[in-house]
Amino acid sequence: MSKPSSKSKEFFIDIDDETQNVNQQSGYVWEEEYKRSWDVLQEDEDGSLKRSIDHLQNRLKRKRLLRDTSTIRRGIIRNMFLIIDLSEAMMEKDLRPSRLDLTLSYAEQFILEFFDQNPISQLGIIVSKGGVAERLTGLSGNPMDNIIALKNKKNIDVDGEPSLQNSLELARSSLIHTPTHGSREILLIMGSLTSCDPGDIYESIEDLVKDNVRVSIVGLSAEVQICKYICKRTKGTYGVVLNEAHFKDLLFEIIPPPPVSVAQSNSKLVMMGFPSSVNQSSPYLCACHNKPVTSGYTCARCNSNICDIPTECPICELTLVSSPHLARSYHHLFPVENYTEVPWNSATTTHCFACQISFPSLSERTLPKNLETSSGRYNCQKCNQHFCIDCDVFVHEAIHNCPGCLATSQNNLKSLMGQVNGNFENYENYEKMNLS
Amino acid sequence: MSSIKDSVTVNEDDANLLVLIIDTNQMNWTKVANKQAMGNCLTLQQILRQLLAFINAHLALKHDNEVAVIASHIGVSKFLYPIPTTRQKTRRSHGDSDQSSNSNMYQRFRVIDDQVTSNMKALFENEALKSCPDKVSSMMAGALSLALCYINRITKSDEIGHIKSRILIISVSPDSPYQYISIMNCIFSAQKLGIPIDVCKISESDNSVFLQQASHITGGRYLRLSIDQSRGFLHFLMKTFLPDRFVRRHLCLPGDEKVDFGAACFCHKKTINIGYVCSVCLSIYCQQLEECSTCRSKVTNGVKRSKTNESL
Repeated sequence: MSKPSSKSKEFFIDIDDETQNVNQQSGYVWEEEYKRSWDVLQEDEDGSLKRSIDHLQNRLKRKRLLRDTSTIRRGIIRNMFLIIDLSEAMMEKDLRPSRLDLTLSYAEQFILEFFDQNPISQLGIIVSKGGVAERLTGLSGNPMDNIIALKNKKNIDVDGEPSLQNSLELARSSLIHTPTHGSREILLIMGSLTSCDPGDIYESIEDLVKDNVRVSIVGLSAEVQICKYICKRTKGTYGVVLNEAHFKDLLFEIIPPPPVSVAQSNSKLVMMGFPSSVNQSSPYLCACHNKPVTSGYTCARCNSNICDIPTECPICELTLVSSPHLARSYHHLFPVENYTEVPWNSATTTHCFACQISFPSLSERTLPKNLETSSGRYNCQKCNQHFCIDCDVFVHEAIHNCPGCLATSQNNLKSLMGQVNGNFENYENYEKMNLS
Repeated sequence: MSSIKDSVTVNEDDANLLVLIIDTNQMNWTKVANKQAMGNCLTLQQILRQLLAFINAHLALKHDNEVAVIASHIGVSKFLYPIPTTRQKTRRSHGDSDQSSNSNMYQRFRVIDDQVTSNMKALFENEALKSCPDKVSSMMAGALSLALCYINRITKSDEIGHIKSRILIISVSPDSPYQYISIMNCIFSAQKLGIPIDVCKISESDNSVFLQQASHITGGRYLRLSIDQSRGFLHFLMKTFLPDRFVRRHLCLPGDEKVDFGAACFCHKKTINIGYVCSVCLSIYCQQLEECSTCRSKVTNGVKRSKTNESL
């Protein structure tokens, strides 16, 4: 790795040590000796462990939940390169079954989820091994192309050291051609602690900053100063995995669209085509894969045959979508407010509003040895209905609707919409759209 | 859009959870009844009787089949069955009077029939709901959200993945535009969980655009019954919606039409093939504008055209 200037080096190493002490209370998986998991469990009066386990599980679920729900402007149209380190360090077995196998299986899940939540975005894959970077797939809107490339054994054998600079430069050179209304992002999964670079990486980093590319890095071993510096400069996130589950959390944090930076916050009208579907009795060749198909879509501008949308027309480069694809992104624009935990003294409800499961009663309030329990009720600030922890998680992660607000009077609903969408004055516009 | 259609594997001996969403907007049911020739009116009461027969048939198919019933009413959506135990006790005493008449009835059928009818009665007698301003539509988005939360709970508690769920919507009201985003959210999460949404729409001419998309995206069945046809309501229910997800693969069921998701611009509501989409809020326009009228953001430099387009 190239040498950073001595001044900045000292500065950042200081910060490293501080945050390490504050945030990283629990150790990394490779420095963990053994867990005394039995210490946290306490029996209740019947000698059962169930309630204290439930309590611990609920705390865990809850931790993942609290997220930013303010209506900020988000870059819905994203262009992202996923860079995977294929150095020999990836063969380490500290993450089971091995760093590489886990990375590949998570990468596959990541790609599926990414396209599910960002249907009109594009993603490509770059791998880095033996000091060079290689592009497996270019930017495309099709999850299957990317996954097939990752499944090909030839593409994923490991060799030598990765090259940070080469892979970042390769990603940057592909990203600068994307239109400015979309965000440009790089997600790097880095197993190695070293990098083999041909030149000064700081120049590459400045280029990335200039071109508005956001780099986020997930480290698999230990924190590396240069990675931290890259993420800080490009306003990305840097995380080092503690264990398998934490690895997945770090990756999936990248999936919701990021807030748009001020520099690129001006909006643009993007030309898009809404293709019509065709069914033919005799097969014809599609323009995207040159394979015979019988059903598909025709490009709205050049009439070429496409087998699936959303995609970019291979002939005239028009973005082709359908209105449900656009609708899929609306929940990023109108997030559900976080629910607040209900204290025991106002826990009057007997069952969850949404799934009808019964809540713990007041008699179950305390565990022996005065371990504090929660009431298991979570309150929506708007409709004042109480929900259980499972519904709370499900509402915020899957449905993106508050069942309480929607199932009570419509009168409220309209005023709610007004509050939620402070910056979307003509909310009614969305409704008209579907009556097409 | 057929990406996830029945990605969950279904087996012959799986139990089935049917979540039935009944649109109980009495205004619209009255309209339906009035349109029919005198003598053979199809009232909500008759529909309910036929639905109960359908529910009983579903339960009778397999001993471990489950059912949940949700009402999508004017201004509120509510569980009709199952309801939590504390309230159930009061209902029990309420329903005692007609117990004697049905003493030969299978216990499980009777409990469900009694609860659904008495809860629906309570819903109609609720004075507070009569003041709701919007009497045209029903709270379908809320009912769908409740259904998904309930299914989520049941699926989670069943560790071996034995229970397969589906949703059946009996709809009579027109779509409420205010619910567009929330219904779409429900549809996408149902698609993700692999839950098909079946729709039975009773209407003379109008198809429900939202619900058509719902069944298309989730791989369910959409069936529109004209008012004349709806006299054979139970017959249609039994033939189309009773088969479970395993059996369906071997049947050729009605309602497999292709749905085209045309887009309409926000400014003139014209159906368009090529449009301009705001990069911030994804509103669709048919022409270039100075300012996006939905999110009020200024549009810079107009449209970035693709390279090939310029060279053409």
